[in-house]
Amino acid sequence: MTWTRDRVREEIIVILKPHVQADAPLSETSQLVADLGIDSLGVMEVVADLEDKFKLHIPDDALREVETVGDVARAITTRLEREGRLTS
Amino acid sequence: MSSVRVSSSFTPRTVVQAIENASKNTQTGFRFLDEYSEAEPFFSHAGIERASARFGGALQSLGLGKGDRVALILPDNADFVFAFLGALRAGIVPVPIYPPTGLGKLAGYLDNTLHIVEKSGASVLVTSAEIRRLLGTVQSRAPDLEQVCDVQNLKSMREQLRPEKIELDDVCFLQFTSGSTSRPKGVVLTHANIAENVHAIMDLGLKAQSFDSGVSWLPLYHDMGLIGFVIAPLYHVNAVTFLPPLLFLKRPVRWLEQMSRQRATISFGPNFAYALCNKRIKESELEGLDLSNWRVAGCGAEPIRAENLRTFAEKFARVGFSPKAFVSCYGMAESTLAVSFSPVGQGLVVDDVDGQALWAEGKAKPAPAGSDLAAGIVSCGQAFPRHEVQVFAAADGESESPLPERTVGELRLRGPSVMRGYWNETEMTREAFAGGWLKTGDIGYLADGAVHICGRSKEVIIVNGRNYYPQDLEWEASRVDGVRKGNVIAFGTMKPTHDRERVVIAMETSLPEGEARDALKGAVRRSVQQALGLTVDDVLPLDIGVLPKTSSGKLQRSKTRELYENGDLLARTSFRRTDTASVVKEVVKSQVGYFRHALLGGILGKKE
Repeated sequence: MTWTRDRVREEIIVILKPHVQADAPLSETSQLVADLGIDSLGVMEVVADLEDKFKLHIPDDALREVETVGDVARAITTRLEREGRLTS
Repeated sequence: MSSVRVSSSFTPRTVVQAIENASKNTQTGFRFLDEYSEAEPFFSHAGIERASARFGGALQSLGLGKGDRVALILPDNADFVFAFLGALRAGIVPVPIYPPTGLGKLAGYLDNTLHIVEKSGASVLVTSAEIRRLLGTVQSRAPDLEQVCDVQNLKSMREQLRPEKIELDDVCFLQFTSGSTSRPKGVVLTHANIAENVHAIMDLGLKAQSFDSGVSWLPLYHDMGLIGFVIAPLYHVNAVTFLPPLLFLKRPVRWLEQMSRQRATISFGPNFAYALCNKRIKESELEGLDLSNWRVAGCGAEPIRAENLRTFAEKFARVGFSPKAFVSCYGMAESTLAVSFSPVGQGLVVDDVDGQALWAEGKAKPAPAGSDLAAGIVSCGQAFPRHEVQVFAAADGESESPLPERTVGELRLRGPSVMRGYWNETEMTREAFAGGWLKTGDIGYLADGAVHICGRSKEVIIVNGRNYYPQDLEWEASRVDGVRKGNVIAFGTMKPTHDRERVVIAMETSLPEGEARDALKGAVRRSVQQALGLTVDDVLPLDIGVLPKTSSGKLQRSKTRELYENGDLLARTSFRRTDTASVVKEVVKSQVGYFRHALLGGILGKKE
């Protein structure tokens, strides 16, 4: 199936939500660890959920580039685009 | 199927002899799984012998000889195993180092790595091309380090291994451990240490046979993965399936799938690994699993929480997991790996003791299970034969008077698995021993000779003559909603002007300042009061990233106390709140220490 950038962003929020502590505000620039309080094991769980949702492989070294919610969205859209599964 | 090995016939062998002896076997060996590849490279014991010989020859061709040190930073399991074993076969002393903790925390990582490389005097460092780029400056800063070598180059070499005579008393490898109060220290392990400990683990502890097989996702730069699942199975010619550590963290069910598929009988993990399975594995994922062959589910390397293991046993009972498989373990790198195991086949053994008496008097008095007073302490079994564990008062500098059973004190060890000392650290080696006994720094007691761990000695909080273990306070505080799990530090302080030790709990939270945090303080106080009967003097909710951690991610209890005492802990909070950029720079690692950090290294770094 194909995705739009907006829908990717929405899905990411849905996946992150259960890991986010209390009412920490969730925005593009939120840091997964520092702002949202997602711990290291939580990050791995998020990655697994993202892979399942978007039917993608997110290799371990890609994680080093990811800090914010926006970075997550970019990591996903870049890969979807590469596979021709992103419509704008 | 082979016959049962008889322990009295034990003849120590070097790891090199073990590899050579095992090489007749072309049926079983090591299988390496990769997350994204269907290929599962398999090396029989004969293949392991050949692959390690090639690596040994390649390392020799770099100019390394017997006794020289080679540092290894190899995230790929197969590369690591063969480079490590290749070095051993050439008499070269490998120094395993964990892979980088992500791009961001690079400065701290490089610092630590440089320290290990310098301290060990390694002249060659073998790593992947990617990490080699990251290491840029290390080579110029380590005077003894002559080359940083890409592992792919070593693999393409076809040099013959020149045989070396390896003796039992030769140094086998250096196992660097990281403490929260000091820089990493290199535990010196000889082939004799390893032969003894492997014998204790496999023959005496697990009663392993050649049909036993293992599955491991443990990192190989840590003793449990390296000695337990690479070296011990070579001595016993067992089959092992290796998974990448990060794959387990991402999809814990993959561990159990392999246990099921390989009909594996032995696997180990720290407490958190079982907890992760409880939390993350869905009921639907249990379909088709068969864990009925799993006879040894070892748990160690972290304080063991009985309730986590019980939950695991309940959850996986329907796919054949037996609670009798649990083996609780006590061990440390300074004693090669294992010190004691609970008896195989008995499952978890919990000693219910009177918590008040334990803390107030240092006595482990039996109490009825389930009663309000009862604190359940997991038994880790008796010391292996020819090895000794005794409990001494911390002040007993010469280990002259062992304390009686059920009396709490410092655990000390003696026996053939105990290290010679720390590499190039005369003073630290001297301090590590008391009258010939290795001081573990762990607080516990013996009951029927079995080891029971209560906590770490230096951190005990003493209030009105009663001892409290910070781990217990932290555990209780962690259970309160709003407290960031694993990011809690409890400590005692005599400052500012009190005649008694004040109890402080500092914890990170994402709750906003004001009412929410005030309510959280109250909840933490109540929880600790109810569980331990202890009044907490000060509860400090802090922003995320404020608690100090070592470069390896361990929470720093004494550093936190220091910051608190000179008023800097709260200053850190406000400073960070006004300067989010610096919060961002702070790498936040959760949870307990080196082991977990080492596992998670590389995934949570921040850009500087």
